[in-house]
Amino acid sequence: MLEIQNLHTHYGPSHIIQGIDLTVRDGEVLGVFGRNGVGKTTLLKTVAGWIQPTNGHILFNNEPIDGQQPDRIARRGVGFVPEDRRIFPGLSVEENLTLGFLQVPGRSSADSRAALERIYQRFPRLAERRYQHGTTLSGGEQQMLAMARVMIGKPSLLLVDEPSEGLAPMIVADLFAIIAEMKAAGCAVLLVEQNVHQALAVCDRFIVIERGRIVLSGDAKDKENCDRLLETIAV
Amino acid sequence: MSGAIEYFQFVLAPQMLIGLVVGVAVILVALGLTIIFGLLDVINMSHGEFYALGAFIALALASIGLPFWLLLILVPLVMIPIGYVVERGLIQRVFHTSERHVTTLLLTFGLGLVMEDVFRLIWGPNPYRPETPIAGGVDVFGIFVPSYRLFLIVVGAAIISAVALIIYRTRLGAMVRAAAYDRHMAASLGVPVRHVYAGAFAFGVALAGLAGVLLAPIYSVFPTMGRDFILMAFTVVIVGGMGSIAGAVIAGLFLTQVQAIVSLYISPVWSDPIVFGIMVAMLMVRPQGLFGRLGHG
Repeated sequence: MLEIQNLHTHYGPSHIIQGIDLTVRDGEVLGVFGRNGVGKTTLLKTVAGWIQPTNGHILFNNEPIDGQQPDRIARRGVGFVPEDRRIFPGLSVEENLTLGFLQVPGRSSADSRAALERIYQRFPRLAERRYQHGTTLSGGEQQMLAMARVMIGKPSLLLVDEPSEGLAPMIVADLFAIIAEMKAAGCAVLLVEQNVHQALAVCDRFIVIERGRIVLSGDAKDKENCDRLLETIAV
Repeated sequence: MSGAIEYFQFVLAPQMLIGLVVGVAVILVALGLTIIFGLLDVINMSHGEFYALGAFIALALASIGLPFWLLLILVPLVMIPIGYVVERGLIQRVFHTSERHVTTLLLTFGLGLVMEDVFRLIWGPNPYRPETPIAGGVDVFGIFVPSYRLFLIVVGAAIISAVALIIYRTRLGAMVRAAAYDRHMAASLGVPVRHVYAGAFAFGVALAGLAGVLLAPIYSVFPTMGRDFILMAFTVVIVGGMGSIAGAVIAGLFLTQVQAIVSLYISPVWSDPIVFGIMVAMLMVRPQGLFGRLGHG
């Protein structure tokens, strides 16, 4: 599914990602943990095509996607929910969702309508607010919209950056339930999250990044591994 | 009382009507400019020359016998690939540099100078006055209005409404607004941002060309014709809000009415300083203009 080989990414002179190798298989959730500023978000942005890697390869379904534009990567089936949600303020909830359907090849109006109805059934709050501007929603609703906007295109790889940040516990539980649903549907997930305990409940494996390198990796269902993870990232 | 009515009918209303015609003309030029700015964040200094290019293409096509009505469709269609190639071939090359604003401003300024000289080389420096497509005039509540100017108001209103509908009521428009606000996020949802940019630039340039065709019978066609309108169009875009279509319409109508009415009471030489003074005041008090930017809510 997703294979990253010896990835290096720079921001100007700063060497942020310093040789990362990882694999995420279909229906697997890989947790990416680490302190602030170690390169977790940069890793996701590099996979999504927002930043061009300076070295290494990113293979998605055995095809290289490094160096490609974000829209081409999205149309290959990679969905990205960034940290700050990035809801378009000038667009209604429905317009935000409709854009998410653009990545589906060979889409028709009927498909688009059916996909919207599917999303509205899953997220009734969004259905109620379909004509409101996206940024008039609460923080939790905006996060749901950001997730729904990607889910509508049925991606086979989901990149999620800090989905629980600043949200109430009930909404966080709902968000992780959505991630679990996508995993059950066969979607591979690369999850960056500070809320380690809750994230580990949906993760199959995890990696810990420090200064742009993987310093620890393991099975998320193994208690010994999880204890080492918590020790490593404890401030 | 009858004196006031007569004053309105014979002095104020005709002047306001002249202002309305100029307003529609300015809005037609400003629309493309504001879309290009709102989406690409590029101040297209060559927009006036694209307006002139539309008029010159119309002139050339009319000389081989094509009717004016066909030119209204044909010229924008010719302008679209020209705009697309300019965006992909020139603007995109410098778009991702750190000095994007300055570079694109200078690039389009240089392009405008080149275009102006090419017009002069091909058509010479003298103005051409195309024949007015609709002769005569009509009586509107006792005011004589040349038929072509009435046609311009109606067609201009239709074009402005169509552009607003495309931008605010279609999926294509949603893509444009999304890309204007956040090109990375839009791209990650599958919006082909580079093509949207080039398409919007081409659309803006086609609108300028269409304005050139429509306004040629009134203002004539000459190499520097773009300069006359572009200053006012920039003022409209700044006062209305850079990238706002509603802002361009309201500011366009307001500023041209100010120009028209000021000309009645003070010397007409003061109309431009007053209008540009409003722009300066707007930049100081509310730099974002009356309305927000395209895609920003």
